[in-house]
This record gives sequence, structure tokens and C-alpha cells, in this order.
Amino acid sequence: MTAKTPSFSIGPRGWVLLSLLASAVWASVTLDLDVRRLVPTEGGWSVAAEFLARAVSPALTYEAAVVPAGTQPLLVKATEAARMTLAIAAAAMSLALVAGGTLGLCASTFWWRGTVRGVRRRFPFVVAYAGLRILIAVMRSVHELFWAVLLLAVFGLGNLTAVVAIAIPYTGVLAKVFSELIDEAPRDAGDALDGLGASRFQAFIFGVLPRALPDMGAYAFYRFECALRSSAILGFFGFPTLGYYVTASFENLHYGEVWSYLYVLFVLIALVDWWSGQLRRRLVA
Amino acid sequence: MTATFQLRRVTVSYPDIRALAAVDLQVDPGEAVAIVGPSGAGKTTLLRLLNGSARPTSGTVAVGGERLSEMSPRRLREARASIGFVHQDLRLVPNLRVLQNVTAGQLGRLSTLGAVRALVWPPRDAVRQVHEMERVGIPEKLFASTDRLSGGQRQRVAVARALFQQPVALLPDEPVSSVDPARARDLVQLLVEISAERGLTLCVSLHNLELARDYFPRVVGLRHGRIAFDRPPSTLAQGEIDALFRLETAGDRA
Repeated sequence: MTAKTPSFSIGPRGWVLLSLLASAVWASVTLDLDVRRLVPTEGGWSVAAEFLARAVSPALTYEAAVVPAGTQPLLVKATEAARMTLAIAAAAMSLALVAGGTLGLCASTFWWRGTVRGVRRRFPFVVAYAGLRILIAVMRSVHELFWAVLLLAVFGLGNLTAVVAIAIPYTGVLAKVFSELIDEAPRDAGDALDGLGASRFQAFIFGVLPRALPDMGAYAFYRFECALRSSAILGFFGFPTLGYYVTASFENLHYGEVWSYLYVLFVLIALVDWWSGQLRRRLVA
Repeated sequence: MTATFQLRRVTVSYPDIRALAAVDLQVDPGEAVAIVGPSGAGKTTLLRLLNGSARPTSGTVAVGGERLSEMSPRRLREARASIGFVHQDLRLVPNLRVLQNVTAGQLGRLSTLGAVRALVWPPRDAVRQVHEMERVGIPEKLFASTDRLSGGQRQRVAVARALFQQPVALLPDEPVSSVDPARARDLVQLLVEISAERGLTLCVSLHNLELARDYFPRVVGLRHGRIAFDRPPSTLAQGEIDALFRLETAGDRA
């Protein structure tokens, strides 16, 4: 029996763990992170305590001493803000679904696989495919807040500005995820339909797309939830969504009002979650 | 009479293996042929050649007297639409309804728009036609999601899809590999009867020699990609059959 030389090979899994660890260490050193700074200052404690205390007693009316005449009641205003938040998210998501769905289908490798008939067209195909992928990457690599800043400068403050700012990155993300879900869907049925004389498009519509659709639907619902949050946050720029009123109240130290708006947002997201759950159950059954 | 399928000196080589070697085969309209042999003998490759899913490395494949390699894409689609292939792994869409899977058999004859319409609103006469496939045994499951069906029922959906093509030939690949022996017999009998009634050319690949002998007037034995025999089963000697299924021994393929 020969003695085994000790081996220090750590294998691919080891490398993944090691690089994750290395990046964590690198980041914390770069940022000079120190856990002790998480201990709040004395003023910080009191703000936190005051803010959290209002969680159980959200405001039902305005906290300001003087409320201008003709101001809508707080709860009416919160509901109106929720309605705007929902409307902007829904409009953005509708745009993103159409555009992202189309781009996602086009970017699926199903169309780009070298076929015997497609050999001559291969080069332009590769260029078009790369262009499509780059377009999708550009759309999603810029956050909706950035798009909002840019579009505000161009179009000014308006609902459409907010809608487009959200729709652009969401289109990119949906296109990327949709194309990947389609690529991961089993191809066997599509190949069978190809074999019984279906065109490439028919084989795709009948054989491949149906297998990816449930996951695509679930992901679209999740993104709708994200769109609601994005829509609320865009209020920070002055769009009439929940975020606008949250910042205003927070700056005025009206924590009760902040909680009222936040609870409205929670309810909104819970409702969308419930609705998507119902829809999905009905679609699967 | 033009042969439904005609293979001349067909060889199919994959990078690491030769699936078929210089195979000659002619199948006439209305014939019922069983292709038997051990796994890996090339049965699936042979069937896949017949609808152009596999291409010969050398030699020619003709369907209805026309060489597949010389067909235009459009003509190839037409040829494929007329050949019902039943895959061993079925290749149905599990989350579509049974009716949708069956009507997909018609795709080769539909326009793109017609296909979308057939998927979303299956035409009335499609429903009726599928109902008439009573013997295939799925009418009561027509609107069920395909993944709720048992293995045997799914098998029948795959057969129904192939029949819905209104094909001139049926190519079931190992149709009984996943059903119990009693059902296997029923299914093979059904395939033979329907093919005879409709005048379809039937080429079945089978693992089970007994079924091949009981139901087919012509049995083609395949081993290592070569045709070992091609005769009526009554003339087969036990020695030939044993040789066909004999396990690989050292130097066998040298």
C-alpha cells in the first residue's frame, strides 16, 4: 500500500465559500465597519423610543397644532395617497409586463439556437441577440430612483414620469427573468411538436411557454409588490404617493402620522399578496 | 405503389457511437411492422429517421417516395404533420388540459393565428373529434389538467395527439415501456386495430418480443444498429431470437 500524499485541494464548493468569506472581510475592512457604532447615542435612543412608541398609537387626525382650512382629513389623504401609489405601480407594471414580456420572449435562447435552416443568418442573429441582451442589462442596471432623477429633469413632475421611471428597470428585470424561466422550461414537448410539423413559433407557444407560465406569473406578482414599494418611495421626489407624506410627517416629527401612512402601505401590500394568492390558486387548479 | 418509408444504406453516427449501420428498410402503406431489439440497438434512432427528427450520416430516407433531405422546410412540415410519432417519454405539456394536448396534434396544419385560437378556444369539432376517440379512453378526462392523469392515461393522451394529426403513419416508440403487462397488450392491440381501420402504416418499436409476435405480421430485429432479421414471426427460429437479445459479451462488437 502506498502512502497517500496529503491533498490540499478544497474543491469548487470550498472556493465558493472562501470567496464569499474573502469578500465579506474585504468589504468590512474597506468600510471600516465597527459593531460598537451600532449602539445609539443618547439622542438616538429617545428618537427611536418616541418613534416606536407611536407604532401602537398611529395618528387618526393631524398632529400639527394648526391645520389649514380645507385640508382633507388625515385618513382620507392617506387613502388617496394609497390609491395613487397603487395606480402608479399598476400603470408601471402594465407597461413593464408588455415590454418585458416581449423582450423576454425574444431574448430566450429558444429562438437563437443554431438550426440547420438558420446557418446562413447566424451572424446577424448573434449581433441582434447581443444587442438585445445589452439593452436589457442597461435597463435593469439603473435603479428606478436614478431613472426618476433623470426623467424629472427631462419631463418635470408628473404621474407619467413616475410610471416610466419604474417601468424601465422593471422591464429589464422581467425580460431577464422571463427569458431565463423560458430557457429552463423543459423542451421535450416543444421538440415533439416540432416533430409533428408545428412551426418554431407554434412549438414555442404550445410546447414551451405553457411550462414557464406559472413561474412567470408568480414572479410578475412578486414584481408588482416591489413596484408598490418603489411607487411609495418615489414620493420622496414629490410624486403624490405614500412616500411623499411619510417624509413630510417625519421631518415635522409627526411620528403618529408616519405610522398611519406606513400601516396603509402594509395593508395595501397585504391585499395585493392575498389577491395574487387567490389568482394563482385559481389558475393552478 | 410508393413505399411509405424507404431507407437505403442508412448509417447514423453520433460522436461516440454508431447508432445505425447501413440499414435498408422498406415499409409499404398499411403495413404493420414491429421493430424489436435490446435497448441501445438503434430502435428509437430508426423511428426518428422516419419523421426527419434524426438525419442520416449517410444513405437516404424517403417518405412517400420523396427524400427528406431534399424537402423544403414547408414540405418537411407537411410530411411531419402526416406522421404521428408517439414518444417513449410522451412529451406532453403537463400543465395544459388533455384537450389542449390532443388538439396540439393538429398544429402542422394550422396557421400561427389558428394555433393560438386552438390553444385558447379549442374548436367545437375538435372536442367532438376527441370524443369520438372513445376507444383511446380519455373522453371523461378531456378538461382535466394532464399532470393529474395516471401514467397509462397520459400514454393514451399521447396516442390521441398522434391520431388527431390524421396521419398516414403511426410511429409509437416503446409505447408499453411504462404500463403494466395487461395494459401493454390492450394498448398494442388498440394501435394495431386503429391502424388497420384507418389504413395507417404502423411502425412500432417494442422491447417485448412476445407482443411483437402476437400482433404483427412482420418483425424487424435490430442489434447493434444492424438488421438481424426482417420476417414474419412464424418463421423465426428460437436461436435467432436468443441471439438478438443475448447480453453483450467481450469482443462482441469488435
